[in-house]
Amino acid sequence: MQTFVRADGPDKVTGSGRYVADLSLTGMLHAKFLYAGLAHGRIQNLNVEPARNLPGVLSVLTAADVPDIRYSPVIPDRTLFAKDVVRFEGEILAAVAATTPAIAAAAIELIEVDIDPLPVVNDIEAALKGDCLLVHPDWEGYDVSGDTVRDGNVASFSSIEKGDVEAGMRQADVTVTSRYVADASHAAPIEPRGIVAQWEGEKVTIWTSSQVPYDARAGVCETLGLPSNRVRIIVPHLGGGFGGKCGFHFEAHIAALAKATKRPVKLVFSREEEFLAPDRRREGMVVEITTGLTNDGDILARQAWVGIDNGAYVADAAFFPQLAAMHVGGPYKVPAIKIDAQLIYTNHQPSGSVRAPTAPQACWALESHTDELAAAVDMDPINFRLRNVVRTGDEGIAGQIYEEIGLDRCLQLATDSIGSPTLADDEAIGVAVGWWPSFAAPAGAYAKMQDDGSVQIITGAQECGTGAVMTLRDIAADELGIDVTDIQLVYQDTAAAPTGPGATGSQTLLNHGRAVESASRQIADQLRELAADELEAAASDIVLGDGKAFVTGSPAMSVPIADLAATAAGGDLLLSSASAPMPDWPTVSAQCVGDQEMAAWLAPQFSCHAVRVRLDADTGVARVVEVHTAHDSGTILNPVGALGQVEGGVMMGIGQALSEGTYYDENGRQTNPALLEYKLQTMADAPPITTQFVEINTPNAGPRGSKGLAEAPNVATAAAISNALAKLVGGPLRQLPMTPERVWEAATEIRGRR
Amino acid sequence: MNHTNVTLRVNEVDYPISISTERNLSGVLRETIGLTGTKEGCDDCECGACMVLLDGQPINSCSYLAVQAEGCAITTVEGLADGDELHALQRNILEAGGVQCGFCTPGMLMSARALLDRTPDPTDEEIRIGLSGNLCRCTGYARIIDAVRTTAVELSN
Repeated sequence: MQTFVRADGPDKVTGSGRYVADLSLTGMLHAKFLYAGLAHGRIQNLNVEPARNLPGVLSVLTAADVPDIRYSPVIPDRTLFAKDVVRFEGEILAAVAATTPAIAAAAIELIEVDIDPLPVVNDIEAALKGDCLLVHPDWEGYDVSGDTVRDGNVASFSSIEKGDVEAGMRQADVTVTSRYVADASHAAPIEPRGIVAQWEGEKVTIWTSSQVPYDARAGVCETLGLPSNRVRIIVPHLGGGFGGKCGFHFEAHIAALAKATKRPVKLVFSREEEFLAPDRRREGMVVEITTGLTNDGDILARQAWVGIDNGAYVADAAFFPQLAAMHVGGPYKVPAIKIDAQLIYTNHQPSGSVRAPTAPQACWALESHTDELAAAVDMDPINFRLRNVVRTGDEGIAGQIYEEIGLDRCLQLATDSIGSPTLADDEAIGVAVGWWPSFAAPAGAYAKMQDDGSVQIITGAQECGTGAVMTLRDIAADELGIDVTDIQLVYQDTAAAPTGPGATGSQTLLNHGRAVESASRQIADQLRELAADELEAAASDIVLGDGKAFVTGSPAMSVPIADLAATAAGGDLLLSSASAPMPDWPTVSAQCVGDQEMAAWLAPQFSCHAVRVRLDADTGVARVVEVHTAHDSGTILNPVGALGQVEGGVMMGIGQALSEGTYYDENGRQTNPALLEYKLQTMADAPPITTQFVEINTPNAGPRGSKGLAEAPNVATAAAISNALAKLVGGPLRQLPMTPERVWEAATEIRGRR
Repeated sequence: MNHTNVTLRVNEVDYPISISTERNLSGVLRETIGLTGTKEGCDDCECGACMVLLDGQPINSCSYLAVQAEGCAITTVEGLADGDELHALQRNILEAGGVQCGFCTPGMLMSARALLDRTPDPTDEEIRIGLSGNLCRCTGYARIIDAVRTTAVELSN
């Protein structure tokens, strides 16, 4: 493979790159939303006439002005604008388009709104009680697809069951029961989302800060009743996403305003809106887990309950319970297991896929519990894990037999890397393992070689910052034997490219990469045929490299690829299209109720993170001193990009561990929707991070034996920090994030018990 | 709203403009003058994406009145390169892999430029503190620190 070139780099360092907020169109209006402002209530009065009468206001829309359609991927439980009832504080009541942002904001203030408060479902365990009011009294009337199991405030239930848990617990020498509670958190990309919509005739073009242009298009089509060919989504540079910009958000509201005003309309979120309004909050979670084991440290049985705070609407979260169950079960050999997991409606902001959804919290709970297990049988936590983790050929918790995997090697490498440094009294080392599936999905690509021998690749992939899209150029260059700078990508435009998942689920390389590989290979085959004629050799003997086609073993017999391209331009053009073939899906033997296809894991990724943490016992302030990671994500194609994913994922994990928690007041409203109160890690907090890759050329996965990588580094860090802190305070930390106050309280409480 | 005529000098070019006295500098740079390289991430001095230099001093332009910048030399990310030649910081942050989504990059570069102007040979700790007002969600920061360190060595030679 050739050296990685970040084609969008110069745009980004010079300021010439355009993000949505940088776009401006002639006649453009500015949009603002009116939000509910309270978590649960019945709308008694909504009078937008005073806003409509304000000079400079061209449109005010409410539920009455758009098609009455319920949407969402699996459980269609919401509408674009609140109708009758509001179920979380960030729910939209009205949208204004005006000539300036200031006039739009003034118009919002003029809207008369009267909402009768209803009792707030503010806690998942309260939501499960029989007398709790239902967040969606009409839940049975929703048109749900798939095998989703629901009941009242339980929006989605899944269980994984294998073997005889009761017998396993009876045989166990020791059982350990733990309870862990994780707060919600946020993706918090630095770019607040923006949207510009413009109609020309019956077609609308929407520039949006989306990770998933095709999902955004589907949402617009569904909610506004439009066919796909009338909606074009373009994403300019995207300022980070981390899952927060997956799904369909506010594109339809802005398209509707643009339609009503016959003008382009722009929306740019404030930081507070970014915290309160999207349906992509990382979910709060409660985990209760019991494990039975022998005195020798063998796990015999595991039983767990997982409660997940869904918030007011399901968004894409229907699969969360099954995925969380897999993470609470963990990458271990567990002969008998039963895990029940519930996605529970509350009056909080909706949860949705943020980088490795459910995994950091569930891994934190499981891996903290695992250190408790090791302690219960007086074993070193690393040795305990080495004894119990799944290895090549082992059966996982859902009964899947794993082909070649590198978890044990990750564990060995990361713990060897951190070694046994001399620790001060206020320091400790913590270790955790994590895992994550690779998601295969349909994706296509076009390729065309132009008359000068350069190549255009047209892909539905979406660059969100990872650089994974740039790696697609490397794959094409490698297939075609030309320089990577001669590959041009056309992407982030639904009018140009075939469909694909976009930047979601670590899928860029896995799915778009396979399509690009296949489309490029077709052009390479055509080049070999042309060269075979030219060089009077068999096509199978032609090799492409260094911009030339040559006969294998006789490099002197060659023809420049550009010459072949010029010849082709006069006749049979060098064009191709390809779909990524769907890999064979693995099977599981466990009984899966409420199956959401999250128990059988294609090409699972594994990791081990080892951290050294320093704790100021007087204040509870923890600092991560160093992080050592090892990852099995298959073959690594873009080392700089891969390292960047691990380092960024670790840093996000440190934030989740120590400072990133969303808090709610007694009325179900977020108390810290700002970056000073919801604290991301800064450069001053950044520890050195080492990374080693266990490169297993994985069949039935991504191009060249690769697997996904963007989410996996975000799984195990918080758990490793938790295990270090547990050593320092003398017992497990039961709440995430492990803020100074909580660490100090835990230490004080544990000291008091002694 | 009071409007006033001011001339702002940005990247060594004078821009005579008429603006409301209450507008912030980032908005005027982006919308009135048309230099959108300066980003807005929070409008509250929390993220640093809007960092520009005012007579060489880094400021969060989201929270600085534009009219107060009259008479100052304003430098934005568009003024960092020398013509088509990238500044060493721009080149090194790319080569180090310190750019992912790129949204924090302009502000990060301006803070780094200011740091190196006042501290040509910074320690890692000085880099960490000097750039701690610029949030990056993508990289984990280490590659940005590398780029600043490399640039310091390069410029001192």
